[in-house]
Amino acid sequence: MESVGLSGYLIVGAVLFVCGVICMATKRNGIGILMGVELVLNGANLNFVAFSQHTHLGLDGQIASLFVIVLAAAEAAVALAIALNFYNNHLTIDVDRAADLKG
Amino acid sequence: MEPLTLLSLIIFLPTIGALGLYAFDKKAEESMRMFALAITAVTFGLTLFLLGQFDMAQGAMQLQVSIPWVPTWNINYQLGVDGISMPLVLLTSLVSMLAMMASWSIKEKIRGYLTLFLLLETGMLGVFLSLDFFLFYVFWEVMLLPMYFLIGVWGGPRREYAAIKFFLYTLAGSVLMLIAMLMLYFGSGESSLTGGQNIFDLLKLGEIAKAGEFSSGTQVVAFILLFIGFAIKLPAFPFHTWLPDAHVEAPTPISMILAGVLLKMGGYGIIRIAMPICPYGAQYAAYALVALGVFSIIYGAFAAMAQTDFKRLVAYSSVSHMGYVLIGMAVWKINEATGTTVNPNHWQMGMAGAMFQMLGHGISSAGMFFMVGVLYDRVHHRDLNKFGGIMQKMPFYSGLAVVIFFAGLGLPGLCGFIGEVFVVLSTWNFSPLLAVIAASGVILTAGYILWTIQRVYLGPEYKGPHPEDLTPINGRETAIALTLIVFAVLMGVFPYTFGLQMMTPSIENLTQSMSTGYETLHQAGSEIISMSQP
Amino acid sequence: MSPDIYIETGTTLKWLLTTAWLLPLAGFLIEVFGGYWSGRKSRAAAFLAVGCIATGFVCSLIALLTWLDAADLNVSDIWQNPRAVAAATHEVSEATHVDHEHDADHAADAEHHGDHEHAVPAHSEEEHHGHAAHGNNPLKFAFNGTFYTLAKFGRIQITLDYYIDGLTVLMFTMVTFIATCIHLFAIGYMSDELTESYEDHQVHLPGGKHFHRPGRFYRFFSFLSLFCFAMLGLVLAGNIFQVFIFWELVGVCSYLLIGFYVERKSASTAANKAFIMNRVGDFGFLIGLMILWTWFGTFQFANTNPDQTGEQGLFQMVRTDAGAIETEGEGLNRVAYMQSATGEHLLGNDGQARRIPYWLLVVAGLGIFAGCVGKSAQFPLQTWLPDAMEGPTPVSALVHSATMVAAGVYLAGRFFPMFTPEVLLVIAYVGAITAFIGATIALVVTDIKQVLAYSTISQLGYMMLAIGVGGWLAGLFHLITHAFFKSLMFLCSGSVIHGCHHEQEMTKMGGLYKKMPITCWTMWIGVVAISGLAIPITLPYLGAISFSGFHSKDAIIASSLSFSTLNPTHSLLFFIPLITAGITAFYMHRMWFMTFFGKPKDHHVHDHAHESPWVMCGPLLALSFFAAFCAVGGESGPLANLLLTSEPTHVAGGVQAAGELGLTLPSHHEIHECHSQAGMMALLAALMGTVVAYLFYCKQAVDPALVKARFESAHRFLKSKWQFDEIYDSMFTRPVHVVAKWCTGFDREALDRFLHSCASLAVGIAQWDRKFDEAVVDRIVNVFGEVTYAAGRTLKGVQTGRLRQYVMFIAAAVVCLFVVLFLFLPR
Repeated sequence: MESVGLSGYLIVGAVLFVCGVICMATKRNGIGILMGVELVLNGANLNFVAFSQHTHLGLDGQIASLFVIVLAAAEAAVALAIALNFYNNHLTIDVDRAADLKG
Repeated sequence: MEPLTLLSLIIFLPTIGALGLYAFDKKAEESMRMFALAITAVTFGLTLFLLGQFDMAQGAMQLQVSIPWVPTWNINYQLGVDGISMPLVLLTSLVSMLAMMASWSIKEKIRGYLTLFLLLETGMLGVFLSLDFFLFYVFWEVMLLPMYFLIGVWGGPRREYAAIKFFLYTLAGSVLMLIAMLMLYFGSGESSLTGGQNIFDLLKLGEIAKAGEFSSGTQVVAFILLFIGFAIKLPAFPFHTWLPDAHVEAPTPISMILAGVLLKMGGYGIIRIAMPICPYGAQYAAYALVALGVFSIIYGAFAAMAQTDFKRLVAYSSVSHMGYVLIGMAVWKINEATGTTVNPNHWQMGMAGAMFQMLGHGISSAGMFFMVGVLYDRVHHRDLNKFGGIMQKMPFYSGLAVVIFFAGLGLPGLCGFIGEVFVVLSTWNFSPLLAVIAASGVILTAGYILWTIQRVYLGPEYKGPHPEDLTPINGRETAIALTLIVFAVLMGVFPYTFGLQMMTPSIENLTQSMSTGYETLHQAGSEIISMSQP
Repeated sequence: MSPDIYIETGTTLKWLLTTAWLLPLAGFLIEVFGGYWSGRKSRAAAFLAVGCIATGFVCSLIALLTWLDAADLNVSDIWQNPRAVAAATHEVSEATHVDHEHDADHAADAEHHGDHEHAVPAHSEEEHHGHAAHGNNPLKFAFNGTFYTLAKFGRIQITLDYYIDGLTVLMFTMVTFIATCIHLFAIGYMSDELTESYEDHQVHLPGGKHFHRPGRFYRFFSFLSLFCFAMLGLVLAGNIFQVFIFWELVGVCSYLLIGFYVERKSASTAANKAFIMNRVGDFGFLIGLMILWTWFGTFQFANTNPDQTGEQGLFQMVRTDAGAIETEGEGLNRVAYMQSATGEHLLGNDGQARRIPYWLLVVAGLGIFAGCVGKSAQFPLQTWLPDAMEGPTPVSALVHSATMVAAGVYLAGRFFPMFTPEVLLVIAYVGAITAFIGATIALVVTDIKQVLAYSTISQLGYMMLAIGVGGWLAGLFHLITHAFFKSLMFLCSGSVIHGCHHEQEMTKMGGLYKKMPITCWTMWIGVVAISGLAIPITLPYLGAISFSGFHSKDAIIASSLSFSTLNPTHSLLFFIPLITAGITAFYMHRMWFMTFFGKPKDHHVHDHAHESPWVMCGPLLALSFFAAFCAVGGESGPLANLLLTSEPTHVAGGVQAAGELGLTLPSHHEIHECHSQAGMMALLAALMGTVVAYLFYCKQAVDPALVKARFESAHRFLKSKWQFDEIYDSMFTRPVHVVAKWCTGFDREALDRFLHSCASLAVGIAQWDRKFDEAVVDRIVNVFGEVTYAAGRTLKGVQTGRLRQYVMFIAAAVVCLFVVLFLFLPR
């Protein structure tokens, strides 16, 4: 089977990234934003793995992506806890309402 | 008792006493006073004991102790007495005791007052006993601060002004002293006698000077700096204007200390530090010193005559009397050609006269201020033109006061005479002109003292306010006055036993060492001249 | 005298005189403290004082006898002719010389003294002895020694010494005797003070009432005792420094006694004046002391110890054994050599002969004499003595006539060997001027005590004159006789004042001789004595029939006549005393007549006048006896002979053409030659004065008021005491106060102002410093702060809190970053 090549992976990663960013910028729902974040992270992971496969970095990329996955899990846990708390206080998870820290 | 214990106890007993005051209840004023008096009395007793240990026939420094204090800089806790400091130590503890007895008139903030008073005594005794320049300097400053507060807190209406004036004047003097001290400290390192070490040891510094190893330039500069520093304390014209203000504002016992002891420190400093360490400088400035002394005598007497404030008058009389001290020390005549001293015995007499004048003035001026204080406590004013007739109201007090004032006038048989007349007699050898001017002071002195007596004590009736308060002198006041009079008479009648005997050997040592020191430099100087002129 | 006798007798004399000297001091202490705490009505103080001084008198008398015995002069000897006594003294001295030759070396040295002088021809002897008459050696019978040391510096020392010779014991006896009489008199005179409430009529209080105070009986006697102590110490003193000490002490006693009535302004002012004018004299005294001390290094009069241990005294250093001053050079270069004990030149430490510039010796003499001028109220310091009459009359009698003021003359006599001829000339002129001024003022004063005061000044002038013209004996002779008759007259005036209830103006007296006969006639003795009246018949052994004053004044006039004959340029020195003798007789009789004779001028005074009690009259009688007879025999009498033993060596033979001025002092022989001539002239002058006074004031043949009107301006001039007080006031007193004002002004205006301007300068700098801090340094710091703050404020708007917006920012920023990196980063 003919190899896909680095740029294929990078294009998919970039699409994922851009989708994630657009999701973050357009969704008002906190959970939706979290999903966007997951997309951005996975886009980045894809890049790591791809670079790891196609350059001489060895296993570094895989390890970094493993870290990112763990970090994303932790981040999701924390973010969901914030979302729950926010909901408890404001009866909504609309991020545009969360402007209490505004200077 | 070991010298170390004894001398340290003399110096620090008052400090211990000052701490002890805080064991008393704040209300127990009477017991605190008695306690403080007991401390000063014990100190006086200790100085008498010191006198018992002291060998009067010896001129050298005795009962010396020296413990390293800051070894890095060769600063030592070095104490000792000789014939020059011994009488002044006795005078200090005596006047302190009497001034403490006179402190019953202080009614406010007793504990603070007594504490500062005792600290002041520590400072004064320390100055007279220390043999290390740095230690001397420390005690000098220690003494300054309590005095500032004693005048500034317990003084009269213009006390802040007087206290600050006193403080700044003295501080200016000590800065000059500090400069000279450092000059000598670093200069001593170049001498062969110290092995390259910089030292503060006054005796060693004197030996270096005796060997002629301080250059003449150093000596002149150091002497002038030291002299100005001490002349402020003495005080000599034109550094005297702090004195009248300080005296007028200070409470009576503090005036007694100020006139009786503090002024002596100026003279002591010159005789203990400035002269032996800078003999060349002393000789260089001798004529100026004598002239300044003569001018102070005449100027002080004239100024005293014009005063209307009783205390100011006595203050100016101190300026006049301390002029004799300056003259007596400096009547050092040398042969211009050989550098040898001409008639060294006359110079010794002048110096002994100066020392005796310090003691005599310590007794008489303390007495005069006390006598003024007795009146002030009763009628609360000091305007000479509003007295008169005190002799009728308080005959016994007036009798005692007249005796004290006669001691100030220099009447034979009382302490003021010997000092003045010895100084004047020895001055002709130095300079006939200055001697004659100095001698004319006797007329002016008689003038202002007798005029004062006439205005205050004589006359038919008292003209000022509160005539009903002129109650007879009480037992405590009588005891103070009588003690002073007894000393005045003993010193006047037996000057050799009560003073000169102790001083003479040390003064001989001092003059000899200074003569040697000067001669060495003089010869070196003339060799240079003779080499450059063949 | 052998050393054993010297020590033995010296010790006896020392203890006798020391007892007499110190007893009054002990008395003083007991009286002044005991009196204060005991009642005001007790006479105990007076009895103690009298006891002390009377014991002193007994001691002095014993001392006098002891001394006469030691000097081999018994009482009968001194009745003989002085020449014979001098010869006897000489024999004694010869005998002692022989005694010494066996065991002591110095006798031989003394013998060879003459040879030695020839051996040093370079030094010319300036003072030649005019006559072969051998001089008396006063050191032969003088005893000296030391009480204790005041100070010691190497080889020089100052001690308290005693020096006892004929003059000392005589002065002791005289002073203690007169003092005893006056103490007794004062018990009566001061009895007003024995009260708890003494009323002083001379002090007026503002309310118009008289002043009341407790009596001060005890205080008076304690001061008198203190004075006696000081006066005796002055006489006993063995060195000039010690004289100075007691000089000041008698001065202060005089001050206390003049100012005894402290509530009287006039009394306290007079006391101040007396003390300060004495201090002016003492200033000169001090200069003399300084010169002597610097050049001689000793103050001792003489060292008379036959062992010749110890240093030479001043007299021995200045004069050779023959009594001459050895000088060399001329003018300011003239120097005087000091003599050693062996008659050679005294050598200094450097082996050179010690010498002193001659002019310094003159200055030293003048300085010491200045002290005498102050104390003896000589011109120009005479003005304090009349004012001193503010003291109680016994004080005037004791202190201001008989003893203290005579101390100046005593010192001039004692210090005579140190005086060069130039100094003596000054002394003579000062004495003559004083005698004249005093006498002329005494003509016009009307206060009885003032008359006596001016006469005292005048008589002291006589004594100084005598000493100045070389009549050493005459001066001291007059000192003794004057002490008796003047103290007598003062006591008489005291008796009059007491009898007239403190009235002193003679213009209110008159006709008192019936009321107070004892006072009147004892005073007459004094008046005759001071006037120098006599009956010119000479009796064997007793001389002329006269009272004491005649003999002594006669001797003075004779000395001055002899002096002016020898030095014709100074003939004024004879005419002034001669005229003054006439004036003296006039004003003394004027006083006597005005007081006791004529019609009573104030009936109130006259009616209440009474004779004084016996305690006062007794002393008058005792003193009048001595005033009359103490000089019996004149210059060959016992008193003169006693004095002669102390006469300095060079006086008897006279001195020829000595010093820079070439003055010649008369010898005994020359004085004796013109004695009768001078005596007659003096007597004539005195008689004229007496007769005129009799015509004016007793017979009233001439009205004094007319004379007064005729010589109005002269009278006014004399009344104002020659304007001395005014001159001194404008010349000295006021300028001193002005200078004093200047000095305080300088302190305040110059020194303090300088100080204050320093302080203001410091404060000014501080304020400027503060402004700089605030305006510049702080401003810069603030600008930073403000800019930062403004930036923050501006950026605040970005912080919306909208997450999505933030994400957009991040995305946009990342894109921008990429674009920038892509564009600008180098490949």
